[in-house]
Amino acid sequence: MAELIRLPKMGLTMEEGTIVEWFVEEGQQVKKGERFFEVATDKISNEIEAEFDTTLLKIIVAQDEDALVQAPIAIVGEAGEDYSALMAEAGATVSAAPAEESATAEEAPAAAAAAATRAPGEYVLASPLAKKTAKEKGIDLGMVAGTGPNGRVVEKDVLAAGSVKASPMAKVVAGELGVNIASIQKDGRIMKDDVQKYYRNTRIEDLAEPADEVEKMSRMRKVVAKRMAESWNTAPAVTYDISIDMTKLMAMKKELKPFAKITYTDLIVKILSRVLLKHKALNCSIDGNDIIYRNYVNMGVAVATDTGLLVPVVKYSNIKSLGDISAEIKDLAEKGRTNQLEADALQGGTFTVSNMGMYEVESFSPIINQPETAILGICGIKNTPVVNDAMEIEIKPLMKLCLSADHRVVDGAVAAMFLKDLKEHLENPAVLLI
Amino acid sequence: MSMKTVVIGGGPGGYVAAVRLAQLGADVTVIEKRYIGGTCLNEGCIPTKVLLHTAELFATMEKESESLGLKVEGLSCDWEGLLKRKELVVTQLVNGVKTLFKSHGIKVIMGEGSFASENEIVVKMPDGKKQTVEFDKAIVATGSAPVIAPIPGVDSPGVITSNEALALEKIPESLAIIGGGVIGCEFANVYSDFGTEISIIEMLPNLIPNMDQTVVNVLRGRFERSGIKVNTNSKVLAIRQVGEMTEVDAEGPEGPFTVSAEKVLLSIGRRPVTKGLGLEELGAKMDRGFIKVDKQMRTSAKNIYAIGDCNGGVLLAHTASSEGMVAADHIMNKNAGIDFATTPYCVYTKPELAGVGMTEKEAVEKGYKVSTGVFPLNGNGKSIIMGEVDGIAKYVTDSKTGEVLGLHMAGPRATELIVEGALAVRLEATIDEITTTIHAHPTVGESLHEAAHAVHGNAIHVPKKKNKK
Repeated sequence: MAELIRLPKMGLTMEEGTIVEWFVEEGQQVKKGERFFEVATDKISNEIEAEFDTTLLKIIVAQDEDALVQAPIAIVGEAGEDYSALMAEAGATVSAAPAEESATAEEAPAAAAAAATRAPGEYVLASPLAKKTAKEKGIDLGMVAGTGPNGRVVEKDVLAAGSVKASPMAKVVAGELGVNIASIQKDGRIMKDDVQKYYRNTRIEDLAEPADEVEKMSRMRKVVAKRMAESWNTAPAVTYDISIDMTKLMAMKKELKPFAKITYTDLIVKILSRVLLKHKALNCSIDGNDIIYRNYVNMGVAVATDTGLLVPVVKYSNIKSLGDISAEIKDLAEKGRTNQLEADALQGGTFTVSNMGMYEVESFSPIINQPETAILGICGIKNTPVVNDAMEIEIKPLMKLCLSADHRVVDGAVAAMFLKDLKEHLENPAVLLI
Repeated sequence: MSMKTVVIGGGPGGYVAAVRLAQLGADVTVIEKRYIGGTCLNEGCIPTKVLLHTAELFATMEKESESLGLKVEGLSCDWEGLLKRKELVVTQLVNGVKTLFKSHGIKVIMGEGSFASENEIVVKMPDGKKQTVEFDKAIVATGSAPVIAPIPGVDSPGVITSNEALALEKIPESLAIIGGGVIGCEFANVYSDFGTEISIIEMLPNLIPNMDQTVVNVLRGRFERSGIKVNTNSKVLAIRQVGEMTEVDAEGPEGPFTVSAEKVLLSIGRRPVTKGLGLEELGAKMDRGFIKVDKQMRTSAKNIYAIGDCNGGVLLAHTASSEGMVAADHIMNKNAGIDFATTPYCVYTKPELAGVGMTEKEAVEKGYKVSTGVFPLNGNGKSIIMGEVDGIAKYVTDSKTGEVLGLHMAGPRATELIVEGALAVRLEATIDEITTTIHAHPTVGESLHEAAHAVHGNAIHVPKKKNKK
């Protein structure tokens, strides 16, 4: 004999809960003592076991949906059993619950769309009162959008359907197209055009078959998400853009080529590490009411991997040679991509660079890697016409740098002076020799 | 600061727009070149209907008094008296518009307006002085004038347009009418009733070609029975003055012919009055003199709208008024939402013709599977009482859904009754809403009910068809 499974009360103050997961699918058997479903409240989460051997016939409250305590959440019984009477009962109970009233306007069209696709003669899930009202008012229940659970038609749906102001032609066309006129949202009188537009939209939806894929966040994605949100909420960051004339740095890279394959990131990290020592506000951390300044630079280098963003750190980059820095970045990046980085390699950063140059990004505002105070975004090199001192137009390879700095410790002028200094160094890399 | 608006032209488009603007709180100035009320009140709708009304009474007394149980002796037309009455009616209506303007605080400047910029209009006054009026938004409602086609001899003294036809010194013995549209047919009706010998020369195969031909044919039959010569498919080649008479050479389906008449009325269409407005200089796009507009009646020139005949849509007074509402509402950020599919077309002949929505031909061309319901007025009690059984009511419907696509009528009161069809179209009624609506008895309007039933072959007052074996 089929029976209703109701939402258990798991604590004195519990009024409603969320079904976290059904461990059993519809039509599947479950044995006494086996995991059946999981319920969560804002305080606790419990796995509920089956109290007897049975078959799950119908899930009423789906995963991630809420229900009141003792509200029917499923029907169990023998496979193949007719449980329509229980469905009606379940619906009546649910519709009497206050939760029903909170059905929002956004939900209505979805339920309505479901109703509109009912085949002629198809069984309509409806409350007894809804059925009675529909009969009294001569309304075809099959054409009424249900806003109850599983698109169940409740009395107010019937009343709403009966009070729809529509032109006679709108009703004729709605009938022809199988559109439920009550599901069309409009302030004024519904006209033929409204029905046709609504139908076209639902048709488009049918063709598009929109599907949202839900995927659990990976551990790494969770960390990235948490850290980004934390930074965004913590640091009042200002982004400053500056253009660098790369003529000399490009020449330098070319000259080095026969000896070592040095990248722009390597060169920038090398120069940046030296410049940062002179601008300690950009290389510090906030710890409560203290500011921690350093006489060294640990340079984080953002690396994109298949699973998410990693920022391995080149420790003490201020004293390392260009060749060492280059080799280390290559090694860290490779390890990052193949998931071989040790935890230590991801810690202790004092500043971060993020190079988007290879994607031809022209400008962006990077998010500071907490607890650092600044991050430098590197954009692509682009041949750009510039006006030189002789007031002539000249084509120069320009690269944009985007510095996001935490205004709690880095004032605008401080950031600007740092960028100006950095620009001078990058445009005249020979200073490395001094 | 309230919105500063200027309306150029005080006709049925312009004055309605002006009043609407004032209702919505705008500061309004109307610039009018000749007379408040425009063509409609002064030399169009209103004066022609004054003449038609008396002409119809005269013809009824003269030809039907006996059958109506009246004895009329010594009946004659007091043409001068009629022209005076026409002036009185026009004056009364024009004064009515002036009163409206005054009550709404609408300023009127008599003179010819021309745009100097997208915020200024220079008005040339009758005394030669100039005045500049500034505006935030302007509505052009300058209307139209009769077309004078380049026919050889068109400048002959006997050739007149509708303007002159309203104020002839006397009723002419004979009148040739070039162009069998609405204006031509109404004047044919007026002067035919007063005994003038009429010939209509129309280039197209039908009179009033934009209306449903089933109802137009009722008028044509009546015209021909009352002695009006209707020459369709006939092209005018030349006009000549021969002494007191004017001769029109034309080429018809049966070869060339010549019509000799005391007057020749040229009623082949109307052209926009847009010259000298300076609109093109401000970027307004034009199409053969008509000002191009979008759905909100905006021209391509900044801040300037155009409504009524001058934008070349449907050249009817009530269309101009509705467009005026749309433009005024858009200027004042309201939404008029007028449904132009409900535009009725009316001809004030006897029988009157009226139509709204699609004609049968238009509906078929649009791909509808059409069902029509036609009811002849000789089955309608009130029409028989009035002695006006020349007429029909015809519903055009979509046989698939029953949607009322159009209503067309010929007969007494047709121009009044057409509102049922306009409302049916506006409310998207099906023919079932018409059949289930009670129509008063005895009225001409009952014929609409019967025509609706006839769509399903169920008219009550039509004898049952014998089954063919």
